[in-house]
Amino acid sequence: MTTAPRTGTPADASRVLTAGIDVGSSAAKAVVLASENGEVTVLSHAVVRIRKRDIAAVIDHAFTSAVEEAGAGELHYVASTGEGEDIPYATGHFYGMTTHARGALFLEPRARSVLDVGALHARAVAMDGRGRVLSYKMTSQCASGSGQFLANIARYLGVSQEEIGPLSLQSASPEPVSSICAVLAETDVINMVSRGIKTPDILRGIHDSMAGRFVRLLRSLDVEGVTVLSGGLAGDVGLQAAIRDALSKEHLGKTAPVELVTHPLSVYAGALGAALWGAFRYRKLDLGGVAWTAKTSP
Amino acid sequence: MKCAVGVDLGSTTTKAVILDEERRVLGRGITNSRSNYDLAVDVARTEAFVAARFELLRRKVTGVAGEAVLDRLLRAFRLEQMLHQLGRLHVLMEEECGRAVPAEVRKETAAALAAIFRRIEAEETDAFAQPEAPRRSDFFRDLAGSAFTRAAEAYDAAAFDRLQGLFDKCIIRAENESLALGFRDHIGAALERIGRPADIAPAVDGAVNEEIDDAATVGTGYGRARLPFPKEQIRSEILCHGLGAHALFPETRTVLDIGGQDTKAIQVDARGLVTSFQMNDRCAAGCGRYLGYIADEMNLGLHELGPLAELSGRPTRINSTCTVFAGAELRDRLSLGEKREDILAGLHRAIMLRAMSLLARSGGVSNEFTFTGGVARNPAAVRALRELVHDSYGERTLNISADSIYTGALGAALFASRTAE
Repeated sequence: MTTAPRTGTPADASRVLTAGIDVGSSAAKAVVLASENGEVTVLSHAVVRIRKRDIAAVIDHAFTSAVEEAGAGELHYVASTGEGEDIPYATGHFYGMTTHARGALFLEPRARSVLDVGALHARAVAMDGRGRVLSYKMTSQCASGSGQFLANIARYLGVSQEEIGPLSLQSASPEPVSSICAVLAETDVINMVSRGIKTPDILRGIHDSMAGRFVRLLRSLDVEGVTVLSGGLAGDVGLQAAIRDALSKEHLGKTAPVELVTHPLSVYAGALGAALWGAFRYRKLDLGGVAWTAKTSP
Repeated sequence: MKCAVGVDLGSTTTKAVILDEERRVLGRGITNSRSNYDLAVDVARTEAFVAARFELLRRKVTGVAGEAVLDRLLRAFRLEQMLHQLGRLHVLMEEECGRAVPAEVRKETAAALAAIFRRIEAEETDAFAQPEAPRRSDFFRDLAGSAFTRAAEAYDAAAFDRLQGLFDKCIIRAENESLALGFRDHIGAALERIGRPADIAPAVDGAVNEEIDDAATVGTGYGRARLPFPKEQIRSEILCHGLGAHALFPETRTVLDIGGQDTKAIQVDARGLVTSFQMNDRCAAGCGRYLGYIADEMNLGLHELGPLAELSGRPTRINSTCTVFAGAELRDRLSLGEKREDILAGLHRAIMLRAMSLLARSGGVSNEFTFTGGVARNPAAVRALRELVHDSYGERTLNISADSIYTGALGAALFASRTAE
């Protein structure tokens, strides 16, 4: 599929419609935004988990769902980010660091850093008030303590993704875990269970270990003020609590303690950032015309 | 007769080896490891004792005809064991059906179970009647699982999910129960099944009454700390693998063992005693579980990976170390249109590269070099290792035994036979 040639100017040039597509290792996220007179509205959002399926089809599914829900017949810019470099109908691609910074700032204007926790990677990005990336850092090439790791443990414990957070909050004495291989974790979990350790304590122990790692990432960037938790694990209340505990224990923040915030749309931070940068580039470069119309839809 | 027993409690499988008074292998037994360690050990031991009594029988019968009758007796024995386990599984599933299945479909579910088990039992009995039965998994869990899935699908596709759910729940219970699976429990029925041939019946009666006294037992393996043995009967895996490899191939100086959860590079002296070793540390990259994870990602059986990778002409270079990342890389590469066999060959090479660095740190590869553990059964892994060793160290004799998975248990049994003296 090729990008439609840009013809004419849209009926209402002041209203720009853009889509952002963020492809991660476990899910594709898509949003459609309208920006008009500096006012940005989220028209729709969709997330589709990959689950070992063909990635291109999953991306199309997420994009089509978002476009249909937004009722958008045409888009001025389709922006991709993450691993979505070769989406045929994308107008342009933006790097993950810049889109997460921009998206986090959109969700929380006070934010000066973002902690993105995905299935395989976690990264911390520090930015200024305009979304310009100042520095960033990622976790190493090991899946211990990643989202996938937590998902594996939950599966061995027979706990669904949604139950992880609430169960973790019930923990009375978290079981400390050091770095456990995500793949060998099954035997470690069996050992813990056979030692009589309760599920909430196992989960909270893992959350604490992850939180410790994330706080070290944030510390290495010298973050101050507000940090936004984004990515697939942003909605995990157990992880949120563990990070807040670790932040206060480690006294992060020189003037005031670093505050962790989250948002119902946190999982879309990358896609939102991409759509916002798309609108910015569309205006800045004065591209004009439409990039995509419903006829060329996938 | 006095014998020595070695038990290797691994993360994936539990193995037992029995040695006679002359330190010849009398029997081997294997089962899948499970949360109840004691039971896993018990099952592996029982299997090894069954094999030992059959070996004693084999030493008594003579000629090709005698061997053929024994083979038939062994297969009849396996069938009796299987039917016994299936019967127990059926009872457990009926009980679970009575508890967990909604009342309105309970009766038809029970009827479905009865029909499915009848069918599986008939299949098993038929397979016994065939002269050349294909080689199958050693584990009841796998055998019953594939037979049940097939039979349940054929019986009632609509109720498949409910039936499979019952199976998943009950197979774990069945596995964690102690069932009577020993030689004396089933040999009578097995002998009846092949018509009590006059030339073998007395020898069988003799084997039943033969006293096999396990004078000493030594345990090793990943779970050795939890074995129900006193401390002086536990040896480290490193020592056992070194000694076991030495017993199989006396000229061995370097041993590489790749098991489910760890990889060990061991240097041994002329007596099979360990002089140095290196081990990977709680990371799946480079051990058997790596290949297991990849097989799951591709929805393949573990035993299918090696032969598929062998078809490759140009192994892909894999960039990831971590198993989970390698799984993601595999998906990426497949979606980019790279060939399955090339990626798989690359993955086999990647795990062997990890092993090579362990070997180098332990002191290199000396002649002769022995490869043990479950992964030694994988032809693509062996080929990658052979190439890498040749590139770094030149000509080396590489020993692989069909029973390499029992190397640790063999070493443990040898330690046991020393303490027995």
